[in-house]
Amino acid sequence: MRRPSASEGDGFDSPLPLKKRTLKKVGMTTAIRETKEILHRLLDNTGVLVLYLDRNENVLLCNKKAESVTGLKHEEIIGKNWLELLFRNKNNIIKKDIFKAVMDSSIRYKRSKDFEGTILDKEGKERLFSWNLSPMHAEENQSEGYILVGHDITEIRENRPVLKNIDATLKDIFSSIKEYALYVVNLSGNITYFGMGSEAMLGWKKQEIIFKHVSILHSLEDISANLHFILENVRLFGKYEAEMQLVTKLGETIPVILTVNQLLDSTGKISGYIFIAKDITERKKFEYQVLQSEKLAALGQLAAGIAHEINNPLFVISGRLGMLKEEKELSLKMKEGLNLVYLQADRIRKLVDRILMFAHKSTPSFEPMDINEIIESVMPLIHYNNLPTVKIEIEKHFEKNMPCIRADLHQLQEVFLNLLINAYQSMPRGGVVKISTSNFQNLYAQVKISDTGIGIPAQHLKNIFMPFFSTKNDGTGLGLSICHNIIKNHNGSIELTSQVDQGSTFTIKLPFI
Amino acid sequence: MLYKILVVDDETEVRDLLVDLLNKEDYLSKSCASGEAALDLLKTESFDAVLLDIKLSGISGLEVLKNIRDTYKNLPVVMITGFGYDEDLIAKSKQCGCCGYIGKNMPVSQIITTFKQFIETAKERCKTQNE
Repeated sequence: MRRPSASEGDGFDSPLPLKKRTLKKVGMTTAIRETKEILHRLLDNTGVLVLYLDRNENVLLCNKKAESVTGLKHEEIIGKNWLELLFRNKNNIIKKDIFKAVMDSSIRYKRSKDFEGTILDKEGKERLFSWNLSPMHAEENQSEGYILVGHDITEIRENRPVLKNIDATLKDIFSSIKEYALYVVNLSGNITYFGMGSEAMLGWKKQEIIFKHVSILHSLEDISANLHFILENVRLFGKYEAEMQLVTKLGETIPVILTVNQLLDSTGKISGYIFIAKDITERKKFEYQVLQSEKLAALGQLAAGIAHEINNPLFVISGRLGMLKEEKELSLKMKEGLNLVYLQADRIRKLVDRILMFAHKSTPSFEPMDINEIIESVMPLIHYNNLPTVKIEIEKHFEKNMPCIRADLHQLQEVFLNLLINAYQSMPRGGVVKISTSNFQNLYAQVKISDTGIGIPAQHLKNIFMPFFSTKNDGTGLGLSICHNIIKNHNGSIELTSQVDQGSTFTIKLPFI
Repeated sequence: MLYKILVVDDETEVRDLLVDLLNKEDYLSKSCASGEAALDLLKTESFDAVLLDIKLSGISGLEVLKNIRDTYKNLPVVMITGFGYDEDLIAKSKQCGCCGYIGKNMPVSQIITTFKQFIETAKERCKTQNE
């Protein structure tokens, strides 16, 4: 704060004449001066605009902020009516009146008033201030004047849109999170908030599920989804987390990791529960595939061992039978009987052969190959397989110029032949087999083989690649498990989708080199 | 020419069947139940070829094959196994120097014909090498 010259008088002296009269001791003058100096400095450094007004609302004292905001010099400010000072621009007449009204009410009720209002700075720019107007009382409780303090909050307010943007961004982030559902439940168990991914994951619209009991989302069959148990745990330990299944609106179950926390009110009392469910469908799928592969590998080893044990005695049976059959003194009946036994033994031999093929631990010999050529090479082989003689159309859609894959021709031929034979056999009344190849994201050659056949019931889909599992009366249940093994050896994947009476589609992905 | 064959298999029934099948095809065959016995027999008797089971009690068929290769460079050895067509086993057998591989899961009639072919090819190769 600029110190006023002697001729101007001391800003502090004028409003406080009573004080001045009481301080007569000369020794005190220095102390007072020092105190005044400190007060000046304090006011200048507060960062807020300070005006001290007399009863007539004229400025008796101001700090540096008042000078910098108005662009006026100290002497130009002192003595001016504060409204004239702050509202020099005529356009601001309405604001001036509002300020006046606030001032008047403060005076009338002798109360401090807080309000917000804009003024124009020296450059004519609007600045928003948070104002406080307080009446000053002299010792006799007589109103001496007013202190007007203004805090410039223009920048703080201008930053609000940034906050708004952050808000919108957070909303976007939350709404694009699909694997998490966040919902809140009150103490009675009714859903009071249903946000962030909940609609997408659980299929319910917010307005449909709000105030419904949360048990609607919990599977009765899944014992770990027992709501009473979960909430009891949250009440006791503050938090509960477990893997369980939730039920969607359509009645489908989804595997989730559910975390339930207490929702506390401002006094720290439980007012509800916050549920966060993480969708782990993909992880479960992966775990299942790994488990499946491990099971298949174990079965493969077992099969190889068993096949070896069967092959030796079977070799003796077949060998001896073969020799016996050729004995000259045998009766016709005997010969026929022996032949029948021989044929049945041969049937066992062929079955063991298939098992050994499934258990095949051989390392495939890989070569760079074009997927379309591999499939084309299989087509002529289909007709050697005693297939039903009904009308079956083949539609081929091959994408050209795809990168090569690393392939063992014979093994992949076996896979595609197997799948095509399956397709044929699933259409006893004829139909269409569609074979297509395409480039999947520049990573895989994707082959789809679909039929319009009898399809496979949903409950069997899970086991379809398991050895010895067959939906056909005369199947060995090894074909698809061999396909699965071969594709796995090629670092690829094979999946089946099927609908009863609509048909099945096998999708195979084999990595490009 | 009458070939003399040594059959090695630890299962009596299999061994006897192989001997019978070979003898029926005008081979002169003799058998033993283990690799150790086979190596002993080879020291005292000469054979034209060996039909050797891979899975033996005692030293394995592949070990026996290696031993034979070290001592009798040109003696043809055909491996036979209940494991059937197993590329890993085939590769290992070839590495150890066998001249053929037969799975017991083959139709019996084919087993002896295939064995015959292996022996003939090996003998032919041996002959051309000596010339």
